[in-house]
Amino acid sequence: MTSAIDALETGLGTRWSAIRAAQQKTRDVLGALSSALADLHDPDCSIVVTGSLGRGEATEGSDADWVLLIDGPSDPDHALLVREIGTRILDIVPKSVGPTRTFGDIVASHELVHYIAGTRDSNENLTRRILLLSESRALTNPLVRERVIRNVLARYVIHDRPVRRTAVAHFLLNDVVRYWRTVTSDYASKMWERQRSGWAIRNVKLRFSRRVLFIWGLLASFAADLFGAAELHAIENDDQYYRMLAELIRTQTDVAPLELLARVVLDAGDHDVAHAIFSSYDRFLAVLADPDARSNLETVRFDDALDHPAYADLRDASQTFRRGITKLFFEVHPKLPALIRDFGVF
Amino acid sequence: MRPIGFSTGALARGDLQRGVMLQRGVAKIDAIELSALRDHELPPLLDAIGALDLSTFSYVSVHAPSQIQTLDEATIGELLLRTPATWPVIAHPELLRTESLWRRLGPRLCIENMDNRKTVGRTLDELQLVFDIYPEATFCLDLGHARQIDPTLSMALTMIRTFGGRLRQVHISDVGPSGEHRPIGATARSSFSHVARHLPIDCPVIIESMIDPESIERELGVVIAMLTTPPRVAIA
Repeated sequence: MTSAIDALETGLGTRWSAIRAAQQKTRDVLGALSSALADLHDPDCSIVVTGSLGRGEATEGSDADWVLLIDGPSDPDHALLVREIGTRILDIVPKSVGPTRTFGDIVASHELVHYIAGTRDSNENLTRRILLLSESRALTNPLVRERVIRNVLARYVIHDRPVRRTAVAHFLLNDVVRYWRTVTSDYASKMWERQRSGWAIRNVKLRFSRRVLFIWGLLASFAADLFGAAELHAIENDDQYYRMLAELIRTQTDVAPLELLARVVLDAGDHDVAHAIFSSYDRFLAVLADPDARSNLETVRFDDALDHPAYADLRDASQTFRRGITKLFFEVHPKLPALIRDFGVF
Repeated sequence: MRPIGFSTGALARGDLQRGVMLQRGVAKIDAIELSALRDHELPPLLDAIGALDLSTFSYVSVHAPSQIQTLDEATIGELLLRTPATWPVIAHPELLRTESLWRRLGPRLCIENMDNRKTVGRTLDELQLVFDIYPEATFCLDLGHARQIDPTLSMALTMIRTFGGRLRQVHISDVGPSGEHRPIGATARSSFSHVARHLPIDCPVIIESMIDPESIERELGVVIAMLTTPPRVAIA
């Protein structure tokens, strides 16, 4: 089946080779990981990856952000399972997960489903929840991942509904915006805590891959207007309508953020916007895929940033990317400008 | 009015006659599913049919074995063909290995959606693959299984919308983490009530909750209330 990225490439007569290479790399790594973990299948658990593997954007330098998602009774053996999973994943992707324990650990569905906003939600829980929706793939037992996602979306869409029916998933939209602002604030926090160590790579990711997650969240929140079939809008019963809307959003969780973006870019039919967005993103992935360029980027000193060719190049590309996204959302798409104006800010 | 009753296996595991006897004459029970979930139960079921008093039931179905252990597939198929032609044969998709054997049942073959322990027939897409192979087959919607896969039951609603024309029977019970059929709890009751209104009014409901005989009236009451009471808009 032709993807929206395929269609854009054909329309523009171009080929985004870094995006293609990252997609292929992702398929290869996911295949290897799935095979290595197949015998660890458990009916209540799913080994889930997020990050570049979840987005279909893996490169040579990518790590594997994984969690053992548990949706069922607790069992002390889950701790043993986590250790075994970690060992096997490191054999295939020899780069350890970050130091925060947001990944490489047990994640119980309870907190993801029940602690949405409110005093018991946490930065870590918010991160895991939004990443599960926007950029996750199951290495084992995909039905558990789907089940948890459905329950999270039930909280957002089915159990939080306005007095009068609306096509916009407001609770989800607000949480997505909150997540994006949290990520950008955490960037500043890490700059402070880590004395700017590794800041450039985080800065660049914020400009591209983190922003793409935010875009995925906006598009998912507007799914009824953007992707809803006439059958959805014809449903008269509100209860059934919101269940079907939640399911429509659920289907977007199986679409990589870049592919979902490509679908609305296709709808906009503006070649300049398509070129600005995807060529600049292709540049970003090309740098991440080049070990020398990537390590060069990791050593950029903050004070020298604007004179550093690798960083300056990506900063320019990110501004092109941002201008393309802004034009898509505020000008050229047939539906997004009204949605953003009415729901995106106030 | 919708026929409603229990699976004999839920009330008296391995004892068909007792499973029938416990339901015969109970007010509001007018449907029954004769269970042969374990394949060694199938030959005795065939032998007993002539002697069973099923006169109080307006709807009777038979549940095919869920696993092949003591009989071969062909024998199971032959035995099921010998059950009365008006009885739907409820079958798990994973039992169906030889297409020609099961196609002989035509619309009597009633395929059930599965729980998360299985590898086929759990989701809409997986069921569609089975119905592509058995286009004449009808559908048994197991709400407990559907809820185990999707607690919001959005998928069950989609199954009703997609396979509604095939819907022949509904299974209902709570389902535990190991796939065991349990009495219907509060959260399951709330979930199921959202789907109940979308079930055809004449579609038989078979309760699969594993309960003691003393609990028949209570479980029956729970299901009838759930099927007839409009759901709350949201759980308060």
